[in-house]
Amino acid sequence: MSIIFTVMRKELLDLFRDRRTVMLGLFMGPLLFPALILGIGAMAESRAKTQLESTLELPVINAERAANLVAYLTTRDIEVIDPPEDPQQAIRDQVYEVILSIPEDYAERWRASRPALVEVLYDSSRQDSRIPVSRVESALRSYSREVATMRLMLRGVDPSLGEALVPGRRDVSTPEARRGMALAFLPYLLILSAFLGGAYLVIDVTAGERERQSLEPLLATPSSREAIMSGKIAAACAFGMLSLLLILLSFKLSFQFAGSGPFRGVDVSFVAMLKLLAILAPMVLIGTTLLTLIAASVKSVKEAQSYMSVLMLLPIIPTIVLLISPVKNQLWMFAVPFLAQNQAILMVLRAESISVLEWMVYVGAGFGLGLLLWLVAARLYHREKLAISA
Amino acid sequence: MIKVNDLHKTFKAKTGLVRAVDGVSFEAPDGRITGLLGPNGAGKTTTLRMLYTLMRPEQGTVHVDGLDAVREAAAVRRSLGVLPDARGVYKRLTARENITYFGRLHGLDADTIASRTDRLVAALGMEDFIDRQSEGFSQGQRTKTAIARALVHDPKNVILDEPTNGLDVMTTRGLRDFLLTLKSQGRCVILSSHIMQEVGLLCDHIVIIAKGKVTAQGSADTLRRLSGEENLEDAFVRLIGSEEGLAA
Repeated sequence: MSIIFTVMRKELLDLFRDRRTVMLGLFMGPLLFPALILGIGAMAESRAKTQLESTLELPVINAERAANLVAYLTTRDIEVIDPPEDPQQAIRDQVYEVILSIPEDYAERWRASRPALVEVLYDSSRQDSRIPVSRVESALRSYSREVATMRLMLRGVDPSLGEALVPGRRDVSTPEARRGMALAFLPYLLILSAFLGGAYLVIDVTAGERERQSLEPLLATPSSREAIMSGKIAAACAFGMLSLLLILLSFKLSFQFAGSGPFRGVDVSFVAMLKLLAILAPMVLIGTTLLTLIAASVKSVKEAQSYMSVLMLLPIIPTIVLLISPVKNQLWMFAVPFLAQNQAILMVLRAESISVLEWMVYVGAGFGLGLLLWLVAARLYHREKLAISA
Repeated sequence: MIKVNDLHKTFKAKTGLVRAVDGVSFEAPDGRITGLLGPNGAGKTTTLRMLYTLMRPEQGTVHVDGLDAVREAAAVRRSLGVLPDARGVYKRLTARENITYFGRLHGLDADTIASRTDRLVAALGMEDFIDRQSEGFSQGQRTKTAIARALVHDPKNVILDEPTNGLDVMTTRGLRDFLLTLKSQGRCVILSSHIMQEVGLLCDHIVIIAKGKVTAQGSADTLRRLSGEENLEDAFVRLIGSEEGLAA
């Protein structure tokens, strides 16, 4: 036990002497992540606001054929302007998001009280056109309904006969949960930070020491290799938890000061932060032991680092799977690494309670996997090749 | 007291199996300096690594103070002080912190570590750099730090792989005196070298290794007699079988 502590202390001392690495490791995340999240949130919100509330400029082809419709659009804060030379190209070139075209037979059909066709030109592959298109379509729909109602009334028919059903919507999500939706990518950032936050330290204390040839004298001491390895893992875990703590604090502060916006009301109480820290603790252990295992099995730091690009993708898998086929929260999920963290973090942020059974499965599976990886890594630490670098 | 009996070790290389150590036997008694002499790549480092339990011999045995190096590896490591070929001094720690770290790993308390460090600092002449971070140390300062680190637990047996490698004349002389002190304290000292003069000056017993095999062993006088050469250098060359890899 005292060996583990001795090794841990030495590794942390060694690390903290390397000021710049520590600064980057500890403060990059806390500074960058909130800026990223809040910045993207604010951008999305202001974009939506301008698109929804500003006057929409709508080029209309042959506007003179539908003077009444044009007049109606103006009342919906849509300004009709002259169409460009080549409307299709203008949309592909992103000059306009949406263009309305009135066909030749519009007036004729209108007078005959037959459905008159109008064309909405847009590019469905452009995210940007979503709001303008829906504004134009909704204006056209309500114009159509108004005119239709008047026509029926003129003919002495009750307009409500034309509508057999009126679907009413009632959103029963809690305000916290709705805000939680905006945070779908927060778990990824947190899991990634927990999983690989101390990666360079872990790789350095095993593969790096081997490369610097200081592992040979270290392993020639009577201390058991398990104890030496555990000390190194403990140091990396301590550093990982510290950096997570700073990241969570930075989230807490920035969400609190963010005021309005999609993140207002996200549960950032100290209890929630503690829960997040507890949720991420097994992830820190899994990441550290997995990287120790890798670092002990490879020939060089470079080789160990090549695994990083693959490892960085692991935490995003559950997020993507859930995006493609959303499933209900089930108990087994709390036993699957990454998926479990993803679900648990979302539950905390949505201010839902995690049951005791779910906690038990979660903690058991997380630390169980950590222990398994530790055992494999310890076996690798006994390999003859590990100590011999030259 | 270290007894080595018929050690074998092979490595896999691209060209096939390499017999790095092929039947090495010798005895290193207490109060003596035993030298392994051989050209580069003769198998000295591999032999020493089997002595300090980092490698497992494929065949043969190593006994340190009667303890088997494979079965009682931890106990053997406790009674050994090791200066490996790779010194591996931690750059961001001071020389003192390097020594203290290893003292703790040997389970020593702070007072013992402090008093032993003081003694080693005086004996090795480390006063002017003991509290400096070892980044930027000269080769000699690094070697001294590594030696002090290896001896902080006051081991009965000392194994040094090429201790004077890369050192200047003055440092080498100082180190030589230090090794003679270790000998006079009754310790068993084993060192490897490819420098014949050094081995000739220091060692009571010389084991000549070439291509993984012991080609001759004995005192400097015995070796001269065996080879029939008056000059020690000529004796070594004759006993190794070639001039390859030997530095004068």
